Amino acid sequence: MDLEKMMELPGALAAFTYSDKGDLQSHVLREGTELTPLVLDLLARSCVANLAIASMEGHGWEALTGQSGFQPLKGFSVVGLEWSVVVNGNCGVVVKNRDADYEATFNAVQTT
Amino acid sequence: MHIVKQLMAIPGVIAAGEYAYRGDRFSYEGALTEEFARMASIVCRANTLSVNMQAEIFDSFAENCGYRPIQGWIARGSQLTVCAVGNYFSFIENRDELLNDVMTIMRAKVGDVQDDLLVNLYARLGGDTKEALY
Repeated sequence: MDLEKMMELPGALAAFTYSDKGDLQSHVLREGTELTPLVLDLLARSCVANLAIASMEGHGWEALTGQSGFQPLKGFSVVGLEWSVVVNGNCGVVVKNRDADYEATFNAVQTT
Repeated sequence: MHIVKQLMAIPGVIAAGEYAYRGDRFSYEGALTEEFARMASIVCRANTLSVNMQAEIFDSFAENCGYRPIQGWIARGSQLTVCAVGNYFSFIENRDELLNDVMTIMRAKVGDVQDDLLVNLYARLGGDTKEALY
């Protein structure tokens, strides 16, 4: 996983990888950002939970409504006040909201 | 123009709606049945509560780091995406640039969600929710 390449995304503040349980495995932080490895570790754990919940909801929605298009889940993002975290699989990117290109960021976490 | 109508005017937006924070009312437009829109409102409200709870925990470790208050979330499916900002939601197709356009409109029209989201979620019990929200 090329975290340096993910840091080239518009507004990228951090890129990170994590285990299936949410343990932070590797990360890159933009110089000057207030984010820390501890923050990323917490973020990774919540992201694992959110991906699992969203996957369950998508699966349930498809089964209940007959509407397809949610599975397989391609990622989840939480939009904070100043920045958003976009995750999929075992990697994530933190991007500044004002510069964020959500399409590109979701695409980036597909290919890594 | 109302946010939902504005979103529905964009090609590729399947449905859009608004739910009351206290969870008993919703309104929507688009290709959902009344029951599916009710379910969508419940899912969106539950996820919004969940990510807010996470942000509160997060805030105790990293105060004022720019995460809280949470503005919304996005669930990206293989062909569809669900966007939630404040108490509005939209179901959209995965088309080029549509997600960015929808998020820009939703963030601009809903405005910044303030710190009192959880207060709104829990405290507005009693009275006419519709009257309180519109």
